[in-house]
Amino acid sequence: MDRVRCAAPLHVPRPAGPWHGVRDNLAVLGNALVYTTWSEWLPSVLTTPRLRELLGPDWDRYRRTRDAVVRYRFAASRLLIKYTAAAALATPPEYLDLAYRLGGRPYLRGFDQIELSLSHTGDVMAVGLSRTGRIGVDVEPADRFVRLDLLETQMLTPVETRELAGLPEKERAVRTLRLWTLKEAYSKALGQGLRLGFKEFGFSPSGRLRAPDGRSATRGEWGFATHPVMDRFLLSVACHDTGLNTAGDTSVETMLDRGFLSAMTRPPDPDQK
Amino acid sequence: MTAVVPAAGRAAQERPGVLDAGEPERAARLEEALGDPFDPANPHGHQALLRADDDREVPEATEALLARAGLAAEFVPHDLGGRLTDLEQLARVLRPLFRRDLALGYGFGITSLFAASAVWTAGDPRQQRTLADVLLGGGRVSIVHREVAHANAILRNELTAVRTPDGGFLLNGRKDAVINAARTDTFVAYARTSPEDGPGSHSVLLLGPEPPRSGEVRRLARAETPGMRGAHFSGLELADVPVRDSALVGEVGDGVSLALRSFQISHCLIPGTVLAGVDSVLRQAVRAATENRPDGRPARRGQRALAGVFADLLACDAMAVTGLRALSLVPQDAYLLAAAVKYTMPDLLREDLEELATVLGARGYDRGPLYGGFQKLGRDLPVAGLGHSGTAVCQAVLVPQLSTLARTTWFRSDEPPADLFRPGAPLPAFDHRRLAHFGTEDLLTATLIAAADRLDAQRSHGPLHDTLASIARMFVDELRILRARCTALSASGSTAFDPQACALADRYALVLAAAACLGVWEGQAGGDSFLARPAWAVLALSRIGRRLGAPVPETPPEVDQEVLAEVLQRCREGRSLDLYATQLAG
Repeated sequence: MDRVRCAAPLHVPRPAGPWHGVRDNLAVLGNALVYTTWSEWLPSVLTTPRLRELLGPDWDRYRRTRDAVVRYRFAASRLLIKYTAAAALATPPEYLDLAYRLGGRPYLRGFDQIELSLSHTGDVMAVGLSRTGRIGVDVEPADRFVRLDLLETQMLTPVETRELAGLPEKERAVRTLRLWTLKEAYSKALGQGLRLGFKEFGFSPSGRLRAPDGRSATRGEWGFATHPVMDRFLLSVACHDTGLNTAGDTSVETMLDRGFLSAMTRPPDPDQK
Repeated sequence: MTAVVPAAGRAAQERPGVLDAGEPERAARLEEALGDPFDPANPHGHQALLRADDDREVPEATEALLARAGLAAEFVPHDLGGRLTDLEQLARVLRPLFRRDLALGYGFGITSLFAASAVWTAGDPRQQRTLADVLLGGGRVSIVHREVAHANAILRNELTAVRTPDGGFLLNGRKDAVINAARTDTFVAYARTSPEDGPGSHSVLLLGPEPPRSGEVRRLARAETPGMRGAHFSGLELADVPVRDSALVGEVGDGVSLALRSFQISHCLIPGTVLAGVDSVLRQAVRAATENRPDGRPARRGQRALAGVFADLLACDAMAVTGLRALSLVPQDAYLLAAAVKYTMPDLLREDLEELATVLGARGYDRGPLYGGFQKLGRDLPVAGLGHSGTAVCQAVLVPQLSTLARTTWFRSDEPPADLFRPGAPLPAFDHRRLAHFGTEDLLTATLIAAADRLDAQRSHGPLHDTLASIARMFVDELRILRARCTALSASGSTAFDPQACALADRYALVLAAAACLGVWEGQAGGDSFLARPAWAVLALSRIGRRLGAPVPETPPEVDQEVLAEVLQRCREGRSLDLYATQLAG
């Protein structure tokens, strides 16, 4: 099969879009990646009369959150997910029920044509969407201060440690941070977050998933990419392809088969035993 | 057919309150013949099966063994000379296979049953005889699906059939990925016979096994799927292939309805068999978690995942087996439950695999016999469930009925027969012809409501009992919310649907899963077995409740501990991690 191709991140400054790039990437590549800033989306949180409908079951959590900044950021991130998904599903965002799996991964209840992942740090928020399989995203400040020694002992495989050992410290820090975001993205794609031991899997310099001993760990069903965003963030994405060659059409309106629906709603045939 | 077919085989297990007639002897024989999966020298063990998967080859030695065992007869109804009497038994007979390799289970066979089901359901005696002879003779039958909405590679494109002056049909068209298309001459095709979309758009036609009088049946290139790499999918193209009128199964225009009737079998059988693959991976995870641990107990970090996944497997089994039993006991009312089983469980099992990744750690990337099955199952499972196309088929069944269910059924219907919830208890013979796809009897909500009442009436039977009562009540509350929301949906009657109904159908299916667990738990009452005690049901229901986003009460720590103790003990004793606790080879 073709190696998975991860879409480049698109900046979407407000709920009104533009969304056509997301739909195009989803149709052509099978996945899409969106980023924006909290400050760009905040006005929508403050002014929408439909916030309660848009947050759905998350409304309670929103109301319970005392710290105003945390509360608004939470709402902005949920709006970003819902509007992004709504663009893909061609349905109003308030119709979507954002639910959470046991490990915490968000998903759209009842609409498994799309999987999604969210990450935010500082002012930036990012959402990944996929129609081919699991997806995970992670965004970190590119200038994040890292205790290299600590990070290395906690998350690098022996092979990764060896590969980074000879590099100048600055480059080592850049590469380590990239590995960190890749590992976050992959474990979020699996819905496991930090429960997945980060020393138990690794990445090659070209971004391929490897076992700790350096052997290739997949057969091409995963794609990974890292992008600089807004000059000061690093955004990594992990995209899975189950290989089912799913339909490019992800809209809600067309998802239920008309033949089955019409047969289900036909009055019972009196002859049927 | 006789009314009751007792499971031949080992002596019934002596468990008080439990009516399990015992593992069917042929399941036990198959498990024994397939042998220790972890033995690298076993030609049917994980090592050999993984190698075949690596090479994209059918595991020939194992297929030969299955052929010698006459496994295909399991897919043929008893009155046609086969061994198919009820679907619960069939699932048990197939689990030894699915514990080792999903692709083998699909490729050898189970897909032959999916194909043949339309003929067992509505075929005439001659058509049934033809298919029975093909299968009993060691052959296969392939299903050629019609194209459904949001189709993936397996469901995309379709055949069309045009009436010919002699009363027959002329078939044309192609499919991209038909399992075993290159390994059979017998096809059950859902072909378009009307250009209009609607309930009568398609008809079922039986093609083969004799070569066509003219035209051409072309096998196209092998479709190399990333999952089930060893199974043989290939393209199929028909060019002006004539079939006689006698190839028509049922009436013209019956195709969609026949799919709705016969798919109930696969809807229950798929979860009821593929869970055995997750059973194997859970055992591998237990091995990984207990290896080199002095006390044989996993570190705290892995305990929760092991107990949780085991509880999910029991929940999956409870729902699948209830569905499989419903097909024998109440076939006219089983279709909603069947759709809910298929809708909910493949996804839940995939989530479980990912949770086990945290326990397996680096071993999860190993390709050897001990742990290699994990990556393979991770690839195979999405193909088995067919992803979004598969769930959308189930949603198309559930969504149109929600409004009517809410208005006329929930909180009004009577409890189903208690035998529905007794895994292993004898069943009346399954009769394909009685499958229906109308009616609004959902079977399980009445059980949920009544079980919650019974639990409430028995409060103070112990803290776990009380927790179970609270969780059961929570699901009844959820059903009440669903009733209000679904009553507000516009009544069915056209192909338009409210997008919000899709999320409601998801929640309804989870409520049915909880109801099945409660039913099976109550069905064990009177015993003191692990399944009769409340711990597993508390854990299974609390995980289902959390998936609903419902306010699940905190579960006491002894719940995890008791479920963990059972999974560790079963692994030590080599018993399966499903409702039956079957003795395993190796």
